[in-house]
Order: sequence, then C-alpha cells, then structure tokens
Amino acid sequence: MSTKTIGQEFIKGLWDENPVFRQLLGLCPTLAVTNAVINGFAMGMATTFVLIFSSLVVSSIKKLIPSQVRIASYIVIIASFVTVADRFLAAFFPPISKSLGPYVPLIVVNCIILGRQEAFSSKNTVGRSVTDALGMSAGFVLAMLVLSAIREILGAGTFFGYQVMGPWFKPWIIMILPPGAFITLGILLAIALQIERRTKSRK
Amino acid sequence: MKLSVRMVVVLTSIGLLSGSFLATVGHLTKERIALNKQREIEAAIIQVVPGTVSSQRLYEERDLSVYGGKDNEGNIIGFAIHASGIGFQDKISLMLGTNSSLERTNRLAILDQKETPGLGAKITDYEFFLTYWENRDCSVPLTLHKPAASSPEELSPTEVNTITGATISSEAVLSIVNGSLEQVRKLIQEGKLSSEAQDVN
Amino acid sequence: MELLAIFVAAILINNFVLRYFLGICPFLGVSKKIDSAISMGLAVTFVMSITAVVSWVINHWILIPFKLDYLQIVSFILVIASLVQLVEMFIRKISPPLYQALGIYLPLITTNCSIFFLALMASLREYNFVESIIFGVGSGLGFTLAIILMAAIREQLDHAEVPEALKGAGIALIVAGIMALAFLGFSGMIK
Repeated sequence: MSTKTIGQEFIKGLWDENPVFRQLLGLCPTLAVTNAVINGFAMGMATTFVLIFSSLVVSSIKKLIPSQVRIASYIVIIASFVTVADRFLAAFFPPISKSLGPYVPLIVVNCIILGRQEAFSSKNTVGRSVTDALGMSAGFVLAMLVLSAIREILGAGTFFGYQVMGPWFKPWIIMILPPGAFITLGILLAIALQIERRTKSRK
Repeated sequence: MKLSVRMVVVLTSIGLLSGSFLATVGHLTKERIALNKQREIEAAIIQVVPGTVSSQRLYEERDLSVYGGKDNEGNIIGFAIHASGIGFQDKISLMLGTNSSLERTNRLAILDQKETPGLGAKITDYEFFLTYWENRDCSVPLTLHKPAASSPEELSPTEVNTITGATISSEAVLSIVNGSLEQVRKLIQEGKLSSEAQDVN
Repeated sequence: MELLAIFVAAILINNFVLRYFLGICPFLGVSKKIDSAISMGLAVTFVMSITAVVSWVINHWILIPFKLDYLQIVSFILVIASLVQLVEMFIRKISPPLYQALGIYLPLITTNCSIFFLALMASLREYNFVESIIFGVGSGLGFTLAIILMAAIREQLDHAEVPEALKGAGIALIVAGIMALAFLGFSGMIK
C-alpha cells in the first residue's frame, strides 16, 4: 500500500515518475504519432481512457484474481478497453483514426498501462488507483504535447494546424520525419535528466 | 475453492465478460464504421467523376476496385478507378476518374499516402500536381513531362507533370495509374467488367 | 517480384525500429553489446516468423469467417503471449544451448510491440499466407539489422566523451535518429 496523500499520488505522474521522461515507458507511441499536435493529443486521450478504466477494473476485482493468472487477466481487460477506444475513434472521428492507424491498437502493448496495473492497481484501493492512473495519464499527455508541439512547430510551422510561424520560416521537414522524433526525444530526455540532477544537487 | 479451479473460473469469466462487452461495442459501432468508409469512397467518386448522382461498384480485387458513376437516368457517365501501389515510402492509394470509354481522364484524387512531407506529399496538392491530370488522353500510356512544367498548356495531351524534387513519387503515381488502366481494359476485354449499366443488386 | 518488394521494404525502407518506432524498449535496453544484440534480434525474428503464420491462421480461419473482427486485438495479444511461452518451453526441451542464448530475451518479447504490430499490419494490408511469412521474416531481419548496428555504435560510444545528461537513453536516441536519417536514403529503391 502506498502511503502518499491522494494529491501526491496524482502529482508524481507529472514529473517525479513521469512515464516518458523519467521512466522511459511508452516510447513507441511517443515517437510515432507526435508528428502533429492533434495526433499526439488524440493518442494521449485514447491512452488516458484505457489506463483509467483498466486501473478502475483491475483495482476493483484484484482480490478475485489468483496471482498466477493476473497478467493474462490484465491483458484481456486492457485489450477490451483498447478495442473500445479503437472502435470509437473509427466510428466518430474517422480522420483521426486514419492518421493514427495501427498505433491505436498498439496501446495494448504500451508498457505504461500494464506496468501501472502490475505495480499499482493490483495493490491499492480503487480511489488511489484511479488517481494514480489520472496522474500517469496527465504525465503522458504532457510529454506527447511537448514533443508534438516542438515537432509540428519546427517541422511544419503550425500548431494544432494553425500557422504560427511567419512566411520567413522554412519548415524543417526532418522534424516530422522519423529522425526528428528520435533526436527531439533524445534532447528532451537529456534536459529532463539535467533538471533532475540540478534539483538533487541543490538538496 | 481449489486454486486451479479458481484460476479457470476467473479466466473464463473475464474472457466471457470481455467477449460479450466487445460484441456489444462491435455491434453498436459496426454500421457507423462501414458508413464512414462508404462515404469516403462516394465522396471521392463524385470528386473524380463530376456529375455523378449515384455510383455502383463494378469490380473489386485487392489494390483495384472499379466504380461506375451514374447520372440521373442511371447511365454510366464515367469510371472511378480506385487503385494502390508502392510509392517512395509506403503505399499510395488513389482514385482516377475517366470517361465511360476509358479514353480521357476526368480528375485524379489521392486518398492515402505517406510520402515525404513538403516534397512527395505534394502529390495531394491540386495546383502543383493534380490539376495536370485533368482531361488527359489516356488511350495510350501516359508519360511524365520532365523537367516540371509550370502550366497545363505546356504539356502534350498524353503527358502529366512531374513534381520538382519528387520524381519518384510522381513516377509512382504514374505507374499506378497506367497499370490500373491497363488492368481495367483487360477486364473489359475479358467481359468481366462492362460500362453498360447493370441492374442494381 | 511482389514478394521481393515486401521483403526488402520490411528490412530497409519501412524498418520496424527506425521508421515505425517499434520495439524501442529492447532496442535501447539490449543494444549495449553486439553478442546480446544478435541473440535478441534472432529471437525476435524467430517469434515474428511464427507469429506471422499463427496470426494469419487465426485471422483467416476464425476471425474473418465468423465476423469476429472486434475480437482481433484481444485474440492477437493473447495468441502472442501464449506463443512466446510455448516457444520458450519448446526451445528449452529441444535445444538447451539455444535456450541459454535466447532464453532471457524471450519473455521480453511478449511486451514487444513489434510482434503485435506485425500481426495487425499483415491483416490490415490483406497479405496472403506467403506474403505474411515473408513480411514476418523481413521485419524480424530488419529489427536484427537495426539492433546490431546500434550495438556496434554503442560499443564505440563507451570510449567517447558524452555529456553527463545525455548518457544512456539520450545519446542512444540521438544515434537512432541519425541511423533513421541514413535509412531514409533507402526510400524509393522499390518501384
């Protein structure tokens, strides 16, 4: 059982245990769909939905599941919610579903989600688990937004599809191509680590 | 309860619950998803065969579908050929509209592509690329005009324009178009496809 | 010709790691030594080839005939998870030396998104049976190529002076970025 207050449970996901910047989890979607802010945001939301509902279900039925089959049970639960998210996007937001393509079903193998079930929801109360899921999702969405904003502004001169750079700006196309994703994330990780080191040495 | 029994019971019930849950979700969204796909195709047909009031699928295989665009009276006024093939990076999927004798192009639309943004991706750009595909004589294989022309008047009737800096993407579109036209002609010859209006099934 | 195109595209043009960003966790985690990178690559190729076959069978004999497409995600992930377990048990029985070489990498593969993506992609692109296998083997080899190259570079990086904050994942991602840039050069080689 975690001893943190509910507030701390939420806040930790934003920075101290940020799934992308601090734990290096869920890097595939982080790199793959951040070529435009709208894609990064939609992916963040879909992941949030799956994480919150999986945590809710897992933490409510944790006592019923024998530990030998827990992983299999978690996977079925997660995969069900992923299917819901995938179907929902395809039915109501076809353009987004088309541009995210097979990366929506891939949420099922996003290590953040299974990781939180195994490390947190299976040991904590429903309230705490959902708060933890909210915090982790917020941290994930934050990372997606930062990365996709940098890539879209530099790579296309736009933000959420709106022109933000003047006509003098020549887009760095490389930023919306795969190499831009790797390099931007590499630099962001270094910055995150540097900030962490600074705050540690100050203490 | 014995552990092994409990394991089986828990897994089975989770599986059954999630299965029935997903069956409901699948049932609720099925029609809408099919409708979305159908709308996308219909919008593209109307775009590439102007004047289409209704449309009918005449032929379908992987990477090639042919639709007939019909006017008010149900006569086929043109074909909409939905074809795909390998581009610079990944698959390009396009729809070409022709007249009903397959001799003139109407319009071209790119439905799906993952070409380089800013270069190859210009194949979706009307002024840069698609405008040069209108009203071409496609009774013979089309060819590329290299280097790029700056207005449609510079091209001969069987030529289409190249995108500067993205020759391979332009060539890919050209080869998908020529290949699918040839295939459709063959289908007509073999009697598998007819421009006569068929009974709507 | 079509088959060759699928094969080459899977290895070079649409490399799973450098273009689709799949299997980044093992790509960063198991790429410190060339030996372990080779083993990991082979293990992935092996599982991918089998997954290609099994997922095709599931898709075409069960999901499509019975119109169960909404169960695709659940069934693929369960099949992959149990498949990896089976492969692990099978290798342990058949060839202990091979198990020693690949054993610890096999459990890691269950959560490797590239396997799942392979099954999805083969179904999305409507590959037939032979094409699926070629796609599976090619994608696996593409992963192997990327992870071996990465390991070779990282072995050299040990001797380089990398800024403290960039050490580990940071510099590895930047190297991956440069590799992805180089792999962009393969685009357009298939017409």
